[in-house]
Amino acid sequence: MRLKQRVALAQKGHDLLREKMDALVIEFFEIVRRIRDARVKAMQQLAAAYRTLSFSFALEGTVETHQAAREVKKEMTVDISTRHVMGILVPVLDVKPIERHALARGYGLYTTSSALDEASRAFEKVLEVLLKLAELEEGARAIAMELEKTKRRVNALEYVILPTLKATVKFITMRLDEMERENFTRLKRIKAMLEARE
Amino acid sequence: MSYKVAIVADDETVAGFALAGVSETYVHVKKEETLAKLDELFASDEVGVVFITYRVAEALEPEFKRKMRAKRLLPVVLRVPDKSGWVPRVDELQEIIRRTVGAEITVKGGS
Repeated sequence: MRLKQRVALAQKGHDLLREKMDALVIEFFEIVRRIRDARVKAMQQLAAAYRTLSFSFALEGTVETHQAAREVKKEMTVDISTRHVMGILVPVLDVKPIERHALARGYGLYTTSSALDEASRAFEKVLEVLLKLAELEEGARAIAMELEKTKRRVNALEYVILPTLKATVKFITMRLDEMERENFTRLKRIKAMLEARE
Repeated sequence: MSYKVAIVADDETVAGFALAGVSETYVHVKKEETLAKLDELFASDEVGVVFITYRVAEALEPEFKRKMRAKRLLPVVLRVPDKSGWVPRVDELQEIIRRTVGAEITVKGGS
Protein backbone atom coordinates (compact mmCIF):
# COMPACT_ATOMS: atom_id res chain seq x y z
CA MET A 1 0.00 0.00 0.00
CA ARG A 2 1.25 3.37 -1.04
CA LEU A 3 0.26 4.89 2.26
CA LYS A 4 2.30 2.39 4.22
CA GLN A 5 5.26 3.27 2.04
CA ARG A 6 4.79 6.94 2.89
CA VAL A 7 4.72 6.14 6.59
CA ALA A 8 7.94 4.14 6.30
CA LEU A 9 9.58 6.95 4.36
CA ALA A 10 8.49 9.64 6.81
CA GLN A 11 9.69 7.50 9.69
CA LYS A 12 13.07 7.02 8.02
CA GLY A 13 13.35 10.74 7.33
CA HIS A 14 12.47 11.50 10.91
CA ASP A 15 15.13 9.12 12.23
CA LEU A 16 17.79 10.57 9.96
CA LEU A 17 16.95 14.11 10.98
CA ARG A 18 17.03 13.07 14.60
CA GLU A 19 20.52 11.72 14.08
CA LYS A 20 21.56 14.95 12.39
CA MET A 21 20.12 16.98 15.25
CA ASP A 22 21.98 14.94 17.86
CA ALA A 23 25.25 15.30 15.94
CA LEU A 24 24.69 19.07 15.65
CA VAL A 25 24.07 19.33 19.39
CA ILE A 26 27.33 17.55 20.13
CA GLU A 27 29.18 19.80 17.68
CA PHE A 28 27.52 22.84 19.22
CA PHE A 29 28.46 22.06 22.79
CA GLU A 30 32.01 21.33 21.75
CA ILE A 31 32.32 24.77 20.22
CA VAL A 32 30.65 26.43 23.20
CA ARG A 33 33.21 24.81 25.47
CA ARG A 34 36.01 26.30 23.36
CA ILE A 35 34.28 29.67 23.32
CA ARG A 36 34.08 29.79 27.12
CA ASP A 37 37.82 29.30 27.42
CA ALA A 38 38.67 31.67 24.59
CA ARG A 39 36.41 34.39 26.03
CA VAL A 40 38.08 34.37 29.44
CA LYS A 41 41.50 34.80 27.85
CA ALA A 42 40.28 37.43 25.40
CA MET A 43 38.55 39.55 28.02
CA GLN A 44 41.59 39.58 30.28
CA GLN A 45 43.91 40.58 27.45
CA LEU A 46 41.52 43.20 26.16
CA ALA A 47 41.16 44.78 29.60
CA ALA A 48 44.95 44.94 29.82
CA ALA A 49 45.14 46.50 26.38
CA TYR A 50 42.65 49.21 27.38
CA ARG A 51 44.82 49.96 30.38
CA THR A 52 47.93 50.42 28.24
CA LEU A 53 45.90 52.71 26.00
CA SER A 54 44.93 54.81 29.01
CA PHE A 55 48.59 55.06 29.93
CA SER A 56 49.36 56.25 26.42
CA PHE A 57 46.66 58.90 26.68
CA ALA A 58 48.08 60.00 30.02
CA LEU A 59 51.80 59.85 29.29
CA GLU A 60 51.94 60.62 25.59
CA GLY A 61 48.84 62.75 25.43
CA THR A 62 45.32 62.21 24.14
CA VAL A 63 45.82 64.24 20.99
CA GLU A 64 49.13 62.60 20.24
CA THR A 65 47.76 59.10 20.74
CA HIS A 66 44.80 59.77 18.47
CA GLN A 67 47.15 61.26 15.92
CA ALA A 68 49.33 58.17 16.00
CA ALA A 69 46.19 56.08 15.58
CA ARG A 70 45.37 58.09 12.47
CA GLU A 71 48.85 57.92 10.99
CA VAL A 72 49.71 54.32 11.70
CA LYS A 73 49.83 51.91 8.77
CA LYS A 74 46.55 50.03 8.61
CA GLU A 75 47.15 47.00 6.52
CA MET A 76 45.67 44.24 8.65
CA THR A 77 44.15 41.46 6.63
CA VAL A 78 42.77 38.07 7.55
CA ASP A 79 42.57 35.03 5.33
CA ILE A 80 39.11 33.54 5.60
CA SER A 81 37.95 30.24 4.16
CA THR A 82 34.96 28.05 4.88
CA ARG A 83 34.49 24.46 5.91
CA HIS A 84 31.52 22.13 6.04
CA VAL A 85 30.06 20.92 9.29
CA MET A 86 26.98 18.72 8.94
CA GLY A 87 25.96 20.42 5.76
CA ILE A 88 26.49 24.01 6.85
CA LEU A 89 29.25 26.46 6.09
CA VAL A 90 31.40 27.65 8.94
CA PRO A 91 34.15 30.29 8.62
CA VAL A 92 37.81 29.51 9.22
CA LEU A 93 40.10 32.42 10.02
CA ASP A 94 43.81 32.16 9.38
CA VAL A 95 45.23 34.28 12.14
CA LYS A 96 48.82 35.25 11.53
CA PRO A 97 50.81 36.87 14.34
CA ILE A 98 50.33 40.60 14.02
CA GLU A 99 53.21 42.04 15.99
CA ARG A 100 54.94 44.83 14.19
CA HIS A 101 58.09 46.72 14.91
CA ALA A 102 57.66 50.28 16.08
CA LEU A 103 59.26 51.64 12.94
CA ALA A 104 57.12 49.42 10.74
CA ARG A 105 54.00 50.89 12.30
CA GLY A 106 54.81 54.19 10.76
CA TYR A 107 53.46 56.73 13.17
CA GLY A 108 55.64 59.74 12.71
CA LEU A 109 56.40 60.94 16.17
CA TYR A 110 59.39 63.01 17.08
CA THR A 111 59.97 60.90 20.12
CA THR A 112 59.35 57.21 20.45
CA SER A 113 57.09 56.84 23.38
CA SER A 114 57.18 53.47 25.04
CA ALA A 115 53.62 54.01 26.27
CA LEU A 116 52.40 54.26 22.70
CA ASP A 117 54.42 51.24 21.65
CA GLU A 118 53.08 49.27 24.59
CA ALA A 119 49.53 50.15 23.62
CA SER A 120 50.08 49.24 19.98
CA ARG A 121 51.69 45.97 20.87
CA ALA A 122 48.96 45.13 23.39
CA PHE A 123 46.25 45.67 20.80
CA GLU A 124 48.14 43.78 18.11
CA LYS A 125 48.35 40.80 20.42
CA VAL A 126 44.76 40.91 21.56
CA LEU A 127 43.59 41.16 17.96
CA GLU A 128 44.96 37.67 17.35
CA VAL A 129 42.91 36.30 20.23
CA LEU A 130 39.81 38.25 19.20
CA LEU A 131 39.96 37.00 15.63
CA LYS A 132 40.08 33.42 16.88
CA LEU A 133 37.13 34.10 19.16
CA ALA A 134 35.23 35.68 16.27
CA GLU A 135 35.69 32.51 14.24
CA LEU A 136 34.36 30.37 17.09
CA GLU A 137 31.35 32.55 17.87
CA GLU A 138 30.30 32.86 14.25
CA GLY A 139 30.63 29.10 13.88
CA ALA A 140 28.47 28.56 16.95
CA ARG A 141 25.84 30.92 15.55
CA ALA A 142 25.76 29.05 12.21
CA ILE A 143 25.38 25.68 13.97
CA ALA A 144 22.66 27.06 16.22
CA MET A 145 20.62 28.28 13.25
CA GLU A 146 20.90 24.91 11.52
CA LEU A 147 19.97 23.21 14.77
CA GLU A 148 16.84 25.32 15.04
CA LYS A 149 15.86 24.49 11.47
CA THR A 150 16.45 20.78 11.94
CA LYS A 151 14.57 20.74 15.22
CA ARG A 152 11.53 22.31 13.56
CA ARG A 153 11.53 19.69 10.83
CA VAL A 154 11.89 16.87 13.35
CA ASN A 155 9.00 18.28 15.35
CA ALA A 156 6.88 18.69 12.24
CA LEU A 157 7.40 15.05 11.36
CA GLU A 158 6.96 13.84 14.90
CA TYR A 159 3.88 15.80 15.86
CA VAL A 160 2.05 16.35 12.62
CA ILE A 161 2.93 14.28 9.62
CA LEU A 162 3.63 10.90 11.15
CA PRO A 163 0.58 10.86 13.44
CA THR A 164 -1.61 11.94 10.54
CA LEU A 165 -0.22 9.27 8.26
CA LYS A 166 -0.48 6.62 10.93
CA ALA A 167 -4.05 7.61 11.74
CA THR A 168 -4.95 7.40 8.06
CA VAL A 169 -3.37 3.96 7.77
CA LYS A 170 -5.26 2.84 10.85
CA PHE A 171 -8.53 4.22 9.51
CA ILE A 172 -8.13 2.54 6.13
CA THR A 173 -7.15 -0.76 7.74
CA MET A 174 -10.25 -0.61 9.94
CA ARG A 175 -12.48 0.10 6.98
CA LEU A 176 -10.98 -2.73 4.98
CA ASP A 177 -11.52 -5.10 7.89
CA GLU A 178 -15.09 -3.88 8.18
CA MET A 179 -15.72 -4.36 4.49
CA GLU A 180 -14.23 -7.82 4.67
CA ARG A 181 -16.49 -8.69 7.57
CA GLU A 182 -19.54 -7.38 5.72
CA ASN A 183 -18.55 -9.42 2.70
CA PHE A 184 -18.03 -12.50 4.80
CA THR A 185 -21.44 -12.12 6.48
CA ARG A 186 -23.09 -11.53 3.09
CA LEU A 187 -21.49 -14.65 1.64
CA LYS A 188 -22.62 -16.68 4.65
CA ARG A 189 -26.21 -15.45 4.18
CA ILE A 190 -26.15 -16.22 0.47
CA LYS A 191 -24.74 -19.66 1.20
CA ALA A 192 -27.43 -20.24 3.80
CA MET A 193 -30.11 -19.16 1.32
CA LEU A 194 -28.76 -21.48 -1.36
CA GLU A 195 -28.59 -24.37 1.05
CA ALA A 196 -32.12 -23.65 2.26
CA ARG A 197 -33.40 -23.91 -1.31
CA GLU A 198 -32.07 -27.35 -1.77
CA MET B 1 40.73 34.92 0.43
CA SER B 2 42.15 37.99 2.10
CA TYR B 3 39.79 40.33 3.96
CA LYS B 4 39.95 43.62 5.82
CA VAL B 5 39.03 44.08 9.46
CA ALA B 6 36.61 46.72 10.76
CA ILE B 7 35.93 48.32 14.16
CA VAL B 8 32.76 50.20 15.13
CA ALA B 9 33.02 51.74 18.59
CA ASP B 10 33.68 54.82 20.69
CA ASP B 11 36.69 56.90 19.70
CA GLU B 12 39.04 55.49 22.33
CA THR B 13 38.36 51.89 21.42
CA VAL B 14 38.70 52.75 17.75
CA ALA B 15 42.08 54.34 18.48
CA GLY B 16 43.29 51.15 20.15
CA PHE B 17 42.22 48.93 17.29
CA ALA B 18 43.62 51.38 14.75
CA LEU B 19 47.01 51.24 16.44
CA ALA B 20 46.98 47.49 15.83
CA GLY B 21 46.45 48.12 12.13
CA VAL B 22 42.70 47.74 11.65
CA SER B 23 41.91 49.55 8.42
CA GLU B 24 38.15 50.11 8.52
CA THR B 25 37.36 52.33 11.47
CA TYR B 26 34.08 54.01 12.42
CA VAL B 27 33.31 56.04 15.51
CA HIS B 28 29.67 55.74 16.60
CA VAL B 29 27.83 59.01 17.01
CA LYS B 30 24.24 58.74 15.76
CA LYS B 31 22.19 55.55 15.58
CA GLU B 32 20.91 56.03 12.02
CA GLU B 33 24.36 56.75 10.64
CA THR B 34 26.01 53.85 12.43
CA LEU B 35 23.28 51.49 11.21
CA ALA B 36 23.93 52.71 7.67
CA LYS B 37 27.64 52.06 8.17
CA LEU B 38 26.84 48.54 9.33
CA ASP B 39 24.77 47.93 6.20
CA GLU B 40 27.75 49.08 4.18
CA LEU B 41 30.15 46.79 6.05
CA PHE B 42 27.81 43.78 5.91
CA ALA B 43 27.34 44.20 2.17
CA SER B 44 31.02 44.71 1.43
CA ASP B 45 32.94 41.89 -0.21
CA GLU B 46 36.22 43.21 1.16
CA VAL B 47 35.45 43.27 4.86
CA GLY B 48 35.72 39.88 6.51
CA VAL B 49 35.55 40.76 10.21
CA VAL B 50 33.60 43.45 12.06
CA PHE B 51 34.35 44.18 15.70
CA ILE B 52 31.71 46.21 17.54
CA THR B 53 31.48 47.05 21.21
CA TYR B 54 28.63 45.68 23.31
CA ARG B 55 27.68 49.23 24.19
CA VAL B 56 27.33 50.42 20.62
CA ALA B 57 25.55 47.21 19.58
CA GLU B 58 23.08 47.75 22.41
CA ALA B 59 22.50 51.34 21.28
CA LEU B 60 21.59 49.98 17.85
CA GLU B 61 18.90 47.60 19.07
CA PRO B 62 16.50 46.24 17.92
CA GLU B 63 17.85 46.78 14.41
CA PHE B 64 21.21 45.23 15.27
CA LYS B 65 19.69 41.88 16.21
CA ARG B 66 17.67 41.89 12.97
CA LYS B 67 20.71 42.64 10.86
CA MET B 68 22.67 39.88 12.56
CA ARG B 69 19.98 37.33 11.71
CA ALA B 70 19.77 38.52 8.12
CA LYS B 71 23.44 38.79 7.29
CA ARG B 72 25.44 36.38 5.17
CA LEU B 73 28.20 34.19 6.59
CA LEU B 74 30.72 36.99 6.03
CA PRO B 75 31.64 39.36 7.51
CA VAL B 76 32.20 37.60 10.79
CA VAL B 77 30.89 39.79 13.60
CA LEU B 78 32.18 39.84 17.16
CA ARG B 79 30.97 42.01 20.01
CA VAL B 80 33.66 43.08 22.43
CA PRO B 81 33.56 45.09 25.63
CA ASP B 82 34.89 48.63 25.60
CA LYS B 83 37.17 49.91 28.35
CA SER B 84 34.24 50.12 30.78
CA GLY B 85 33.80 46.38 30.44
CA TRP B 86 30.03 46.75 30.04
CA VAL B 87 28.22 43.66 28.79
CA PRO B 88 24.47 43.12 28.42
CA ARG B 89 22.75 41.23 31.18
CA VAL B 90 21.59 38.47 28.86
CA ASP B 91 24.42 36.64 27.15
CA GLU B 92 23.74 35.96 23.47
CA LEU B 93 25.26 32.50 23.55
CA GLN B 94 23.26 31.54 26.64
CA GLU B 95 20.10 32.68 24.86
CA ILE B 96 20.93 30.56 21.83
CA ILE B 97 21.54 27.53 24.03
CA ARG B 98 18.26 28.01 25.84
CA ARG B 99 16.33 28.45 22.60
CA THR B 100 17.76 25.56 20.65
CA VAL B 101 18.47 22.97 23.30
CA GLY B 102 16.09 24.09 26.00
CA ALA B 103 18.64 23.73 28.76
CA GLU B 104 19.79 26.30 31.26
CA ILE B 105 23.56 26.42 31.07
CA THR B 106 25.51 29.42 32.21
CA VAL B 107 28.12 30.84 29.92
CA LYS B 108 30.59 33.21 31.45
CA GLY B 109 30.93 36.06 29.06
CA GLY B 110 32.05 39.54 29.89
CA SER B 111 35.19 40.80 31.53
